[in-house]
Amino acid sequence: MDPLIEAFGLVFDPFVLAVIGLSAIFGMFVGAMPGLTATMATALLVPVTFFMPPVPALGAIVTATTMAIFAGDIPGAMLRMPGTPASAAYADESYAMTQKGQLNLCMGVNLVFSVGGGLIGVAVLIAFAPLLAEVAINFSSYEYFWLACLGLTCAVFMSNADPVKGFLSLFFGLLLATVGIDPAAGFPRFTFDDVNLMGGVNFIATMIGMFAVSELMRGAVTFDLATKAVPQAVGSLFRGLGEVTRRYWLNFLRGSAIGTAIGALPGAGADIAAWISYAVAKRFSKQPEKFGTGEVEGIVDATSANNSALGSAWIPALVFGIPGDSITAIVIGVLYMKGMNPGPTVFQENPQLIYAVFLIFILANLIMFPLGWAAIKSARQILRVPRNLLLPVILLFCLVGSFAMTNSLYGVVLMLAMGVLGWVMEEHGIPIAPLILGLVLGEMLEQTFVQSMIKADGAFLEFFSRPIAGSLGVFTLLIWLVMLARGFRRAPAAAPA
Amino acid sequence: MTLLSRRSLLAASGAALTAPLAMPALGQGNWPNRPIQLIVPWGAGGGTDATARIVGSLLERDLGQPVNVVNRTGGSGVVGHSAISTAAPDGYTIGMITVEITMMHWQGLTQLNPESYTPLALMNSDPPGVQVASNSPYADIKALADAIKARPAGTFKASGTGQGGIWHLALVGWLQAMGLKGDHVRWVPSNGAAPAMQELAAGGVDIVTCSVPEARAMIDAGRAKSLAIMAPARNPMFAQVPTLNETLGINYSVGAWRGIAAPKGLPAPIAQRYGTALKAAYENPQFKEFMTSRGFGTVWQDAAGFASFMAEGDRAMGEAMRGAGLARG
Amino acid sequence: MRMNDALLGALLLGFAGWVWWLTTFFPSFPGQDYGPNLFPRILAAGIGFCALVLLLRGLRQRAPLLVVEGWMAQPRRVVSFLLIPLASLAYILVSDPLGFIPTAFLLLLGLFLWFQARPVVALPVAAGMTLLVHWFFAGLMRVPLPRGVLDSVL
Repeated sequence: MDPLIEAFGLVFDPFVLAVIGLSAIFGMFVGAMPGLTATMATALLVPVTFFMPPVPALGAIVTATTMAIFAGDIPGAMLRMPGTPASAAYADESYAMTQKGQLNLCMGVNLVFSVGGGLIGVAVLIAFAPLLAEVAINFSSYEYFWLACLGLTCAVFMSNADPVKGFLSLFFGLLLATVGIDPAAGFPRFTFDDVNLMGGVNFIATMIGMFAVSELMRGAVTFDLATKAVPQAVGSLFRGLGEVTRRYWLNFLRGSAIGTAIGALPGAGADIAAWISYAVAKRFSKQPEKFGTGEVEGIVDATSANNSALGSAWIPALVFGIPGDSITAIVIGVLYMKGMNPGPTVFQENPQLIYAVFLIFILANLIMFPLGWAAIKSARQILRVPRNLLLPVILLFCLVGSFAMTNSLYGVVLMLAMGVLGWVMEEHGIPIAPLILGLVLGEMLEQTFVQSMIKADGAFLEFFSRPIAGSLGVFTLLIWLVMLARGFRRAPAAAPA
Repeated sequence: MTLLSRRSLLAASGAALTAPLAMPALGQGNWPNRPIQLIVPWGAGGGTDATARIVGSLLERDLGQPVNVVNRTGGSGVVGHSAISTAAPDGYTIGMITVEITMMHWQGLTQLNPESYTPLALMNSDPPGVQVASNSPYADIKALADAIKARPAGTFKASGTGQGGIWHLALVGWLQAMGLKGDHVRWVPSNGAAPAMQELAAGGVDIVTCSVPEARAMIDAGRAKSLAIMAPARNPMFAQVPTLNETLGINYSVGAWRGIAAPKGLPAPIAQRYGTALKAAYENPQFKEFMTSRGFGTVWQDAAGFASFMAEGDRAMGEAMRGAGLARG
Repeated sequence: MRMNDALLGALLLGFAGWVWWLTTFFPSFPGQDYGPNLFPRILAAGIGFCALVLLLRGLRQRAPLLVVEGWMAQPRRVVSFLLIPLASLAYILVSDPLGFIPTAFLLLLGLFLWFQARPVVALPVAAGMTLLVHWFFAGLMRVPLPRGVLDSVL
């Protein structure tokens, strides 16, 4: 039988469809709840999927993560608390739009371009999986080192704040990433003999603290003031979308392309994709000064990017068994568990199963449209739920969510500490986003640096010895030089924020 | 930090409060009457996690209570191993301990050692293989070994796990068995076997010593080949890969093993019940089939056998790590 | 609450120095110049440099040492503000011995009432949310939420 037809049969089975439907709702909920994230959704699904046949098991993960990455945008816009790390890059921007009375437009853009970006990522996965994997496989520690440097460069574009404070935040994030066992000698650093700190600073618990808990603290102060009346045109989500699409279709394509590329690289995922594409959007915008004031442009890029990264992250996972992000790291285990051993042979041995996964990806992105619409409409009621009920309930989810990340109270302790730190930083005009980026990329930066240095026997020029690494390196250094030159020219004008 | 120590104090007092409550339940012999936690020191989706989940599902059927696999990751396994040893020895928390327990304390990472547990059963052991890129000039292990010996120290680079990890020691042991120094091949620390295999395929390192199942995807993809395994016998799943002994005449074998253990002080009746349940799980065709399909080796040692196995492994590891200059303190 | 840049800079400078001091205890990696202390030192130096810039800038500005917003003078708001971290702290301290269900219920109820929800609403919502979260995470997703005093009942 033709594997494609067989795949249709596998997917359009009542049990599988039911699993997909339930996982879609699960993913929407997890994504939309600050404190619960897409990676967590996948980890939580492992025990549930352990006893399922391969197609529903993978279907559950694909659907839940697709929904969660989109749904993370909702609380970002409504409460200024990103639901998932992937939405953190533009939560401020979205919230600014909401305060300008453009919640409808913001959510419509998020939904439509998430679906669009997701479909592009899947299309690339289907069409070019083996080809792209071929490119990604040639990346060694030198290339990754330069990529990490490029990623960190984006921190500079991420906020409008005072550059000194931006760097402060970035350095601090990188420093947090060094807590735990070091990548060179296996020595525990900054652990103060505490076992939990040996495991390092958990990025998700940090994110929950920095974004959600600090926002809850701010919200608690003004809990009794009339809920900041957000002027709402109760109407179509899709009004004005035509205009946005006409104006920013290039942003959509660029965001999806960046997202797909970053997703396909082992180790980077939707979170980094969103940040980088947002930074790129700002860099190349005709009106970069408007970024951060509730301008839709950067959102188009970033929301397309994080959803497209989700699909392309499966490319190295399927072809080489190497995770594209933290979600596919778990997926690979599930693939093995279901006897679909990753490798190019999986396309020959189990083509019907792979086609079934592709079909579910498409299906998940399609049902995201109506389901996302429903989620937005019902989430909008959140703005009407009295804040005296909403704040404590979100706090409970943050507590449980950070507990579930480490399966111990360490996650909660970390969340609390980072929540307080996040609040203090915000009070002093120190942006949070660079810290998160530093924490995410820090380990990769140090690990690849140490690996490269050992491989090169300490000769730094080796970092440019391979064609791709050399080009990336020269490119990165050029960008830094340009930035430095500009910084000096503007220095007298730069006033403290 | 004061926060944490205060918490552990409170937790300890909480345990002290609930301990008398648990005791009568033991006396009544109705253990287990609530869900059991199976702690795994490694991440969801990995090999240890998968092994724990299949064992857990079989235990669940036998004991009649849910067995929940709980991942406690980080710190090269220290976090999870510590969580297992510090849990209450009431039979409701067990864990899957791995070869790292015989290594971490030599490195000075923790005080924990095999003595910190009540061993229950050894279930699995995987030997390392010697993998090279498929376009590597060395067609077999003999050619590779000769090339390593012929070139000056530091010419070849190898990877597979972090500094002082099990696959690093595998390399060191192999080099020493060939009469070379442990650092004749430079070790490039990596964050596990998968990134090391990527580095190998990208041409970043020359050799990866990780288990063959971990290298399998790259081998299947035609990017890498396995030249030998460091085990007494071939793996039936990868029958074409020879052992070091039959090719180089080196009788060196080492392995990454996984076993089930409980916190120290587990009451003997519960330990015995676990012993029979784990034995049944090990003999269950479902377990065998699952392990074979992933290429994982199965071995069985009961509680006493596991204890002496660990004691011997601990001693050998200490010797090897001191010899390689990896021991600290 | 906002510290003067000079004060913030001074504090951070101290922090950077502390980090550097901690790195002096790291062992060196035999035969290499880039051991475990390389990155932390670069970062400590970076933080120290930024802190110095802040310090100098703050000294020029001569802003008040500490700016406190109006709400900090209103005890009720200060308590509301502190309740969020304090509730998290309470969860950390008591959830293990007490168990998730009683802790979460008391936490929600207390916060609801402090934030002036009517008891008629607060009670059922606190109970409902607690049970819902417990059912979803502990039951469905098998997260090991602490069982505490209800250990024998659950």
